[in-house]
Amino acid sequence: MESNKHKDENMWEEKPPFLSSWKRLYSIVFLNLVILVLLFYLFTKIFS
Amino acid sequence: MSLFDWVVLGSFLAFVVLYGMWKTRGKKNIQDFLLANKTTPWYTVTLSIMATQASAITFLSTPGQAYVDGMRFVQFYLGLPLAMIILSVTAVPLFHNLKVYTAYEYLEQRFDLKNRLLGSVLFLIQRGLAAGFTILAPSLIVSILLGWDVQLTVLITGILVVLYTASGGTDAVNKTHLMQMLIITVGMGTAFFMIIYSLPKDISFLDATKIAGKMGKLNAITFDFDWKDRYNFWTGLIGGTFLALSYFGTDQSQVQRYLSGKSIAQSRIGLLANGVIKIPMQFGILFLGAMVFVFYQFALPPLFFNSVETTNVKKSAYASEYQILENKYEVIHNEKQAKIREMLDADKKNDKIKFSEAAESVNRSKKNALEIRKEAAGLIKKANPGADTNDTNFIFLTFVVNILPAGLIGLILAAIFSASMSSTSAELNALASTTVVDIYKRMIKPEGTERHYVMVSKLSTIFWGFYAISFALFANRMGSLIEAVNILGSLFYGTILGIFLIAFYFKKIGGSATFYSALAAELVVIGCFFFTDIPYLWYNVIGCVLLILLAHLVHPFVKKLSRPL
Repeated sequence: MESNKHKDENMWEEKPPFLSSWKRLYSIVFLNLVILVLLFYLFTKIFS
Repeated sequence: MSLFDWVVLGSFLAFVVLYGMWKTRGKKNIQDFLLANKTTPWYTVTLSIMATQASAITFLSTPGQAYVDGMRFVQFYLGLPLAMIILSVTAVPLFHNLKVYTAYEYLEQRFDLKNRLLGSVLFLIQRGLAAGFTILAPSLIVSILLGWDVQLTVLITGILVVLYTASGGTDAVNKTHLMQMLIITVGMGTAFFMIIYSLPKDISFLDATKIAGKMGKLNAITFDFDWKDRYNFWTGLIGGTFLALSYFGTDQSQVQRYLSGKSIAQSRIGLLANGVIKIPMQFGILFLGAMVFVFYQFALPPLFFNSVETTNVKKSAYASEYQILENKYEVIHNEKQAKIREMLDADKKNDKIKFSEAAESVNRSKKNALEIRKEAAGLIKKANPGADTNDTNFIFLTFVVNILPAGLIGLILAAIFSASMSSTSAELNALASTTVVDIYKRMIKPEGTERHYVMVSKLSTIFWGFYAISFALFANRMGSLIEAVNILGSLFYGTILGIFLIAFYFKKIGGSATFYSALAAELVVIGCFFFTDIPYLWYNVIGCVLLILLAHLVHPFVKKLSRPL
């Protein structure tokens, strides 16, 4: 019972396997979106 | 189709089904059957999420969408990464921590039974019909183009999926998703290179991109706000976020994918990776469609891509009128091709005046060609009033069947059937979970053994499989398939999302206020569909926002009424 509780707490606090914090990982995903929008805008402008 | 194509297609389908059944046999408890014992690593979660969302419709209809309407459909996905972040922060830890099998179980813990049942029933109605679409779409298109019997194709696809989904549950769905995504990637990548290879030798890849751009097919982003425009930056970002939040956060076919993750971290990364990969993937598929468009600027395309309807009109009283249109279309095509070459020539010589003159005249020819296509569609409708005059879904496969060499046609068909099977299996798996966990176990037999529930889950998968197959056998006309599926989803997703958002963020609002507001909001959304021309992405916003507002308004009164006297 105790070890299950401990396992659950670990699940909550578990860090991402890369970039060391969730905030950083979320920022990367958001930044990727911004870059994609910018690239699509340039793509549309250049070729239209 | 050549014998080689049959061998490629047949061996792939047989391999996936047998692998799925053999690798995941002997599931004895419900957690193992419905959540793959929570052992799935993040990359399998990502691929499984992507394979579930990317049905055959994605690969058949999306290139055609770019051919007809340009690449602006990519904006539909702009809200997806934001939704992935929001869900990683909120829903993933919550669902994992509560140890739920379905998203709707949480609604009972937070509100009451009637909200859980409302969520489950809305999901079962919407997803049950969508599963029918998912099976029908590729069957219909492949049948028309290759002359196969549509009912036989529906039955074969449906039964193959039911076999491994009923046998191995979520684990089988996840494991086969890996292979299906692999074949889809290989298939679409090969198709892309073949399109570029099939262009005339004097047309480079850059030339092809310039042609597509000048002819209005590379319109990936527009920031102009227009309430009535289906796809622009704003509808994609706002409506798309709501739709993606609802689809990934409340639709059991997706929730089940990340609930099977090894841990909260693995599920979160699975979702976030999807947020990074999905938009470039859709961009690639749309770009492929734009390149098919360029290919058909140098090879005469059929006046109408649905060959069955073309044959019908050619056998009717309108045959001679149709022939005249075909002749006109060919003349315009040749003129257009000459002007495109003039345009490229001017571009190479850096003659800007000649370039813009040629570009204008190319677009005039394009407009004339479009008018002729409209007239042709009119004749098709006169010859057969029941005919579907939207040929978007046939464009890509027409290219595949007519242009690609033996072996590759089998590979592309294997990719399309993989996509169909991957989505259908996840849908059936989720429908079975909801039926067993939220209805059967909760309402009918709460005290069954693990073995009993696994058996009922298998039977439920078979039931929903045959429900979807029956729907697919009876439905036959659908317009643009990818839009049909998204419209169907948007009718319900806003309301379901509203219920979950109240559950997550408005702790004071109780079950009854939420339930009655949800019913009212759903009626308004259905009213919008039948009586207004509001673009469908906004239904998600309307349903969700209206439900939250109504719940806030109704909440004090419901609270008073429910107080004991």
